[in-house]
Amino acid sequence: MRGIVKKFGQVVANDGVDLELYSGEIHALLGENGAGKTTLMNVLNGVHRPDGGMIYFRGQEANIRSSTDAQRLGIGMVHQHFSLIPVFTVAENLVIGLKDGGTRLEISKVKEKIAQTAAQSNLVVDPDRVVKQLSVGEQQRVEILKLLFRGSQVLILDEPTSSLTPQEAIDLFSTLRTLRQGGKSIVIITHKLYEALDIADRVTVLRKGRVTLKGAREGITREALTEAMIGRQIETKGYERTKIAAANSMTVEDLAVDTERGRAPVEGVSLQIRAGEILGIAGVAGNGQKDLIECLFGLRPVRKGRILLDGIEINNLPVRRRLEAGLCYIPEERKTRAVAIEMSLMFNSIMHDHWEEPNVSRGLLNGSAIRALTKRIISKFNVVAQSESSQAGSLSGGNLQKFIVGREMSRNMKYLLAVNPTAGLDIGATDDVRRTLIEYRNQGKGILLLSEDLDELLTMCDRIVVIYRGRVSQPVSEESFDKLKIGSMMLGEGFEQRAVAS
Amino acid sequence: MGFDVGVVLSSVLAGMIPRAMPALLAATGENIDEIGGVLNLGVEGMMLMGAIVAFLVDFTTGSVLLGFLAAGGVGILFSFFHAVASVTLKADQVVSGTAIWFIGWGLSGVLYVAAFGFTTSPVRINTLSPVSVPYLSNLPVVGQLIFGESPIFYLTLLLIAGVQYFLYHTKPGLNLRTVGENPRVADVMGVNPTKYRYGAVLFGGFMAGIGGAYLTLVIVGSFDYDMTAGIGFVAVALVLFGKWRPWRVFIGALVFGAIYVLYLTLESLLPSFPYQFLEMWPYLATLGFIVVVGKRANPPAALAKPYDKGE
Repeated sequence: MRGIVKKFGQVVANDGVDLELYSGEIHALLGENGAGKTTLMNVLNGVHRPDGGMIYFRGQEANIRSSTDAQRLGIGMVHQHFSLIPVFTVAENLVIGLKDGGTRLEISKVKEKIAQTAAQSNLVVDPDRVVKQLSVGEQQRVEILKLLFRGSQVLILDEPTSSLTPQEAIDLFSTLRTLRQGGKSIVIITHKLYEALDIADRVTVLRKGRVTLKGAREGITREALTEAMIGRQIETKGYERTKIAAANSMTVEDLAVDTERGRAPVEGVSLQIRAGEILGIAGVAGNGQKDLIECLFGLRPVRKGRILLDGIEINNLPVRRRLEAGLCYIPEERKTRAVAIEMSLMFNSIMHDHWEEPNVSRGLLNGSAIRALTKRIISKFNVVAQSESSQAGSLSGGNLQKFIVGREMSRNMKYLLAVNPTAGLDIGATDDVRRTLIEYRNQGKGILLLSEDLDELLTMCDRIVVIYRGRVSQPVSEESFDKLKIGSMMLGEGFEQRAVAS
Repeated sequence: MGFDVGVVLSSVLAGMIPRAMPALLAATGENIDEIGGVLNLGVEGMMLMGAIVAFLVDFTTGSVLLGFLAAGGVGILFSFFHAVASVTLKADQVVSGTAIWFIGWGLSGVLYVAAFGFTTSPVRINTLSPVSVPYLSNLPVVGQLIFGESPIFYLTLLLIAGVQYFLYHTKPGLNLRTVGENPRVADVMGVNPTKYRYGAVLFGGFMAGIGGAYLTLVIVGSFDYDMTAGIGFVAVALVLFGKWRPWRVFIGALVFGAIYVLYLTLESLLPSFPYQFLEMWPYLATLGFIVVVGKRANPPAALAKPYDKGE
């Protein structure tokens, strides 16, 4: 790819990017969110048409106008959000749109071909299973198979490990190595440095749409990569946590919560969120963690058990009473649950306490007090916003999240329930959010942190519990954190035996 | 309540298939529509247009076959409008479908009056007579029930089998289902969602037209203003009841037909009972089925959502 330019309106997503890809290599395309990695690969894959620059394929100028064109050249991409049909079987998903071999759908022949492809690439999936019953890792295998099925020589994977467990990520990497031996070119889009260092043969780093670094893996250091990605050196570790001896806690005793059809109900959960600590919940998505948190906040009824806040039972309190009691909640769905995107930051900043002085006086909203509050949040938490009356939806993801975290922190809070608070944020914003959470922990607030990023939990938490099929493990405390051990607990290790025993 | 249960039962069995046919034909078409992701609430209007056009063509030419073909044609024409509005222009499918219902409803009545003026007694045409399958129709009970129907019924059975085969055993069928589940995926996999949706909508329109024609050409033999009386909407409901499976839709249509004939039979047997309540009953039953079955239904994920290719 030579001199690729892609603009979206005023925004230049790719500004003269060059990228070379050889057969039989794994190439890491690194950069922060919004650096233009996905855009660049979407150009290569025919999803976007470039505004400038050329693509050469095997020395020939290639005019890629659609993903069908890309497919014909043997270029295929696995997007971050899988493009599988959940109600179809694996085999059906693989043959959608295939033209060769008549109009009859001969599933048995398809299965043979799947077995062949699987044998060559180490990608084993049962072709008769319905996709929605597969784990994320298995679905990803189906996506890769889909590309191989269409004879792709160039495989582009967008953030392939973002929702995998550590073990699944290891399996994926070994598959990719096998494919590399078979002569495929593989591009991994990622913002995780260690991944690039771990698997890539060569690396290209993008920042703000331009290439800031490229070269073979051997010649590149971690520091150089970091600097190329974010333009400044930041310490990756070093959140200072002071010991807090507080007696208060939010306690959950033998809690059971009903969940939606298809997910295991939450059963027999006991937890203690101590003031002045961060308790982490690790688990593969869909194991009941979100239902648990929603129940703690009052969005789902308690079936059994008790929730105590500083010793007072809050089982049957409505959300508003829980808010008043000092409970806060940062949901994962920023734009649909945490804020009303069409309302101003001012109104959004009082959503959880608009009934309290000084936000309201004599029954009317107090504009100047609300404006002052919003300004405080914006300046204290480094939110980049045009003004306090801007629409919440006009903020970028990172700034919106800083605003949301800031709003909760500005309340009279004791305990915070945070769900994936840094998901989708770039390194800078992630760091800001984490620092804020740690700061409040150090002030003696209790935080329950649910995160799908195990590294985040390991750096932030004092203790971690693992949730699996609605059941929660004993807490693991900081001294005995072990990534692989926790990873295998996330896949159920240590759970079945206990269930049998009880 | 002095009436013979046996009489009621035999008249229900004898009448349920003919009464099921208009809804069955339209529902089979609507099913394909919806599997492709397009909701067509204009079925009622298309059926009425099919009914009047079939009637007029049969009246002038005397040919039942031409009547059916013309009805299918007008169904295709009306569904083409629906396709342009909802697929190409990405309009709200409920609004577009409702508009088509209204147009078909009004226009069919106007066409009748334009052709015959205001008549006191309905203008009649000859209806298509049933065909008895040799030997088989002499079988006790099932003989007359299954093997003494109009030829359209046998063709419909073949058609449903064909639809079933198409959807689950051919690649274009898989592609159509993909378009209804996620048109973006289809597009990326080299399947053109617009083409498939147009095809599905036009087929649905054809079937709705035929379903309407069945009323005038086979059952009634005359045209009456708003004669479908909601069967188009029943067809939409049957698709839901059948959970988008062709043979389940067929079963649903038979049940509806049976309930409908039951109402007609009871009406004649119980002259003193207010007929308005009996008349409600097929529709109440439909509503009941939807409430019970609809809760567990799993519609195509992209149903009624226009596909915007975007960037």
